[in-house]
Amino acid sequence: MNWAKIRLERRDEVTWAWRLFCFLVAILGTLLVTGVLISTAGKEPIEAFKELFIGAFFGIDSIVETLVRATPLILTGLAAVVAFRAKIWSIGQEGQLVLGAIAAYWASIVFEGLPRIIVLSGVICLGFVGGALLGVFCGWLKARYRVDEIISTVMFNYAIFYLLTYLLSGPWQPPGDFYVQSAPVIEKALLPNLLQDTRLHGGLFIAIVVAIIVYILIKRTALGYEIRAFGSNPIASSFKGIKPTRMLVVVMLISGGIAGLAGTSELLGVHGRLNTDIAAGAGYTGIIVALIGGLTPLGTVIAAVLFGAMVNGGFMMQVVTGVPKSMVFAMQAITLLFFLCSTLMSQYRIKRVTEDV
Amino acid sequence: MLEQLQIKNLTKRFGTVIANDRVTFDVRRGEIHCLFGENGAGKSTLAECIYGTYRSESGTICFNGELVEFNSPRDAIQLGIGMIHQHFVLVPPLTVLENIIVGTEDAKVLLNTQKAENKFKELCARYELKLNGHAAIWDLSVGEQQWVEILKALYLDVKFLILDEPTAVLTPEESDKLFRILNVMKRQGISIVLITHKLKEVMQSDRVTVMRKGKIINTVDTKSTTREQLTHMMISSELAVQGLKKKINSESTVVQIKKLDVRGPRGGYAVKDLNLTLNSHEIVGIAGVAGNGQKELFETLVGIQSPESGEVWLDTEDITHWSPAEILAAGVGHIPQDRYREGLIGQLSIVDNLLLGMHRSPRFAQRGFLDQERVRAFVQEQVDQFEIVAPSIDTVVGNLSGGNAQKVVLARELFQASVVLLANQPTRGLDISIADYVHRQLLEKRKEGYAILLASEELDELIKLSDRIVVMFKGQIAGEFVADNPDLEQIGLLMAGGNL
Repeated sequence: MNWAKIRLERRDEVTWAWRLFCFLVAILGTLLVTGVLISTAGKEPIEAFKELFIGAFFGIDSIVETLVRATPLILTGLAAVVAFRAKIWSIGQEGQLVLGAIAAYWASIVFEGLPRIIVLSGVICLGFVGGALLGVFCGWLKARYRVDEIISTVMFNYAIFYLLTYLLSGPWQPPGDFYVQSAPVIEKALLPNLLQDTRLHGGLFIAIVVAIIVYILIKRTALGYEIRAFGSNPIASSFKGIKPTRMLVVVMLISGGIAGLAGTSELLGVHGRLNTDIAAGAGYTGIIVALIGGLTPLGTVIAAVLFGAMVNGGFMMQVVTGVPKSMVFAMQAITLLFFLCSTLMSQYRIKRVTEDV
Repeated sequence: MLEQLQIKNLTKRFGTVIANDRVTFDVRRGEIHCLFGENGAGKSTLAECIYGTYRSESGTICFNGELVEFNSPRDAIQLGIGMIHQHFVLVPPLTVLENIIVGTEDAKVLLNTQKAENKFKELCARYELKLNGHAAIWDLSVGEQQWVEILKALYLDVKFLILDEPTAVLTPEESDKLFRILNVMKRQGISIVLITHKLKEVMQSDRVTVMRKGKIINTVDTKSTTREQLTHMMISSELAVQGLKKKINSESTVVQIKKLDVRGPRGGYAVKDLNLTLNSHEIVGIAGVAGNGQKELFETLVGIQSPESGEVWLDTEDITHWSPAEILAAGVGHIPQDRYREGLIGQLSIVDNLLLGMHRSPRFAQRGFLDQERVRAFVQEQVDQFEIVAPSIDTVVGNLSGGNAQKVVLARELFQASVVLLANQPTRGLDISIADYVHRQLLEKRKEGYAILLASEELDELIKLSDRIVVMFKGQIAGEFVADNPDLEQIGLLMAGGNL
């Protein structure tokens, strides 16, 4: 008797066409499922998607706003890329972002009297250092005491957030002020605008530069090679002289520093003062962005812009169609699920097997 | 009817490898029957065929006089066959009792703990075991865990029990206790098959079957045989391949290992008071069953483990506490025992794998940037020279065949090594032609003046290649032989823990 069976089989080579196909299937799936969600809320899905798209990409202002929202996600996403490539599961981008912003704000106070170019480079450097310090500390905890990095980085997210609220309701709260926020950052520490009369700021420039640096780091440098090797097989790597302790510290330094830059960019490009909305979940969203981007710098930039567009277009969608903009967060989560599935799908083929029994 | 189990002409293949070749074997009711042979002789495969884990290609199994065909261990268990595997199959957070009743009728829907506890106590009393049924497995010593495994089988009222190297993890006192338990079981009429490569244990059995390279050599009554006869049967006698190596007078000492003590994963000594010298133009073979400290010795020599005491000298330098990178830079190459775990990065390409360890060398990296063109040219050269068969140099190493994967390791290590080559079972799992290729490469390096340390479980291989053979047993060197015409029986005896 003939039995037709279906079996999954791993592909030897993944072609570009097939990968693109999987990618399109993921997008279609996302639209379908969110479409169902929107219609159960009693709204017209096609209409909602249209407004979302218009809100995200129609006109200079919309595009600029999408990019502004994408900027911190690019940086936190890249931070996750660096760590995850080494299979170090750092979830600490949120805390590193905040500590980076705190360090940058502190630098803006200290460097107040210096020329603008020095102040600007000083705050950016300190922003990097702030995030890097926290990253290194978690890496060192793992290297020295085998503290799981997932636990330590998540815990520090909370600790650093409380440090922020302490600073903003105490030492850095302007006298007589009622709000939990700092005084504005001095003018010369603010990032320059990239496009006149818009909110597009230098943070985007920093993010693109960092993306290029991360690309070169992973593809072309000996350190990037070590990150890939260590991430794929730490035992074989250590046999050939790649020290696990050094990798933990160096990778967490770079990853934390990049997340710190996200905080710096938000502080000096968007908010202009320290407040408790400085991170707004960008650290966690960055992880999703990195995973959707397939842990590559280019993919991460694209995914970050996509997510920025969803948040930005969500406002228009709410105003015009009445679909709540929180629907966007459901959309982001669904996007992640479909992309993870499509990544897996792209590596397999479905085969029909006929067996004679 | 005397025979409880009768196997006729059983054959089991794995791919092209014949693990069991027309095996005929029987076990009598209430006897302790040893399966004796080197690692890879096919003992465990035979046991798994009896237990129903594997299905044989041909041949018959009769149990209690009836022809049986097992599709899974479940069928075997139903007929009262039990097996204790080399590695514990216990659930560490659960208690002893819970582990014993898991999978039995008493744990189907509701736990029948009262019945289980009574039976457990009765079994402990009968076999003189002191165990707390409510202790969690992870609180028990390794020996106590072994008793739990045995109780698991006894709880199911086994009539026929297979034990696969049960003493590998036990202390000598615990091993003695195990045999007392086995003898009680024997008096209850339980038949026992004991897989081992230790002579001391074989001598306590009723009958012995010796296996070599998948075949049964002979079955004899223990009383009417000697240790020497058994050893002779265990190791192959026809060692024709000689004359490949020409005698070269080695002039200088390259590596000196002095009084080396290394701790193993379980805290005891894996290497104890080991002294060894490697000379240039020389291959020193380490004979011994895997797990007698070879892995720890090699890992200490490459700097992955640090020894508790003792010294390692390379020429005139004390490298005892050097890092792997420093030892590599000094010209020491290493072919590790487990190539996919320790030697290769399966998800990366041939290019990346051949680069490993040289990614910081001035030849391939300037100011931290890799010179891709040079790297690729070098890799292409190596792939051609070693005849590595792959679609391209960007092929992921995990997709290569075992032989080609080992060639990647070989190419890399032979290139990086300039003085010393450490090879731990470099031909394990490879087919004859690739193994022969590895052999010729090692001999070539010997001619060039390298000092080579080669560990292998195959005596033929050691005799073919080595200038000297040392036997390692329980972390110590049990004896040294000149490889020209060594006394095989003495080597075998030492490998199995005997004395000369």
